[in-house]
Amino acid sequence: MTGGTPAPAPDPTPLVTGHTGTLADRQAALVATLVAGAPVPPGFDVRLVGAARSALLGKRAGDVARSWPLLAAGLGERWPAVFARWAATRPTQGSLRDGWDLARELAGEGPLPTPAAEELAVREVRWRYDGTAAPRRRGLPAVHRLGGVTVLQIAGRIRLWSRRDR
Amino acid sequence: MIPDDYGVGIGWRPEIAGFVAELPGLRFVEVVAESVPATGPPPPALAALRDRGVAVVPHGVRLSLGGAEPVEPARVSHFARVAELLDAPLASEHIAFVRAGGVEAGHLLPLPRTREAVDAVVANVTRVQAELTVPLALEPIAALFDWPDDELDEAQFLGEILDRTGALLLLDIANVYANAHNRGTDPLDLLDRLPLDRIGYVHVAGGAAHDGIYHDTHTDPVPDAVLELVAELSARHRPPALLLERDGHYPPAAALRAELDAIAAASGHPRVT
Repeated sequence: MTGGTPAPAPDPTPLVTGHTGTLADRQAALVATLVAGAPVPPGFDVRLVGAARSALLGKRAGDVARSWPLLAAGLGERWPAVFARWAATRPTQGSLRDGWDLARELAGEGPLPTPAAEELAVREVRWRYDGTAAPRRRGLPAVHRLGGVTVLQIAGRIRLWSRRDR
Repeated sequence: MIPDDYGVGIGWRPEIAGFVAELPGLRFVEVVAESVPATGPPPPALAALRDRGVAVVPHGVRLSLGGAEPVEPARVSHFARVAELLDAPLASEHIAFVRAGGVEAGHLLPLPRTREAVDAVVANVTRVQAELTVPLALEPIAALFDWPDDELDEAQFLGEILDRTGALLLLDIANVYANAHNRGTDPLDLLDRLPLDRIGYVHVAGGAAHDGIYHDTHTDPVPDAVLELVAELSARHRPPALLLERDGHYPPAAALRAELDAIAAASGHPRVT
């Protein structure tokens, strides 16, 4: 703490300490625990809430794998763990965007397996997605290169070239 | 008020649409309400079922009736329109919340069994009922954990909500099993205390135990213990309709047929296969 201004007095009604906050506050705290990595609120069974958090991540991993089958297949047995690590502190934005955000992050760390790279590149060229709002279909021709994959989209038609030597 | 004796039904999902279409004795299915466009016409597979007299019940999963915030009007309108579009005899949703503070949980979450939570549910159910033109059935969920400050037990909590809203009960017998297993209570005690004459229909689903915790997965076979509860329930008050829910890892058709037959046998309803 720097500067001469005193810190504001603590709120006399703690919002998320078990038995005191409103229902709205307490529901928000519980959701934050389950999907954003916040600590387990006081009074809850830490083991059981942890089991619920894991079950949610597993269900989400399955949902995203259905939206991004080649991304999930490309990671094989590592998919549940890779997804869970990424998703543990990120509330879902829907399976399409969750998979998209993860695919971009993984592509930034190193080459994706070719089918996964193709899946991502085809979506990048078909849709405009800024990472914060729902993707929108592109009206204009576009080209996207990702690793050894090049995708061209003209009037909704896709042409794809892959260098499958990796 | 209680709908027809529909017997044994199945949750309609695109992946098993062909299987469902060929069940000769089928009289009702359920469809996830949010998956049906409210603008119509109904998806062809559902329209075909309607045409042969199969009732289609919209089952909401994202209204968040137990949320402290008022249920979103657009979601209520969609739910009510879908019920009209499908000419449904009733519609159903959960006693749960799925989002809070603008963040989606991605799943049905349990409520504290408090009077404040009862008030929140009743307020939201009343908002839905104001727009819905058919009866609403409310489904208690399977909870992996409880809140630390319950004031009411499960039967009191549900009873109060049903009494104050006039809603029907959608009893998920697998959830009854799961909660009793995970809380270490006797599922028959709950059956003996619930208003079984208020049951609109019953859900039956599979699950599996991991590390001593039973998960209501809808992707595993229906355990014998759940079928035994179907029989116990039916002996007390036979539900007018029971519906098998399966949401993934679909087994071969013969296995699904066997599960439907087992539900028919346990409840005393005719086979639909």
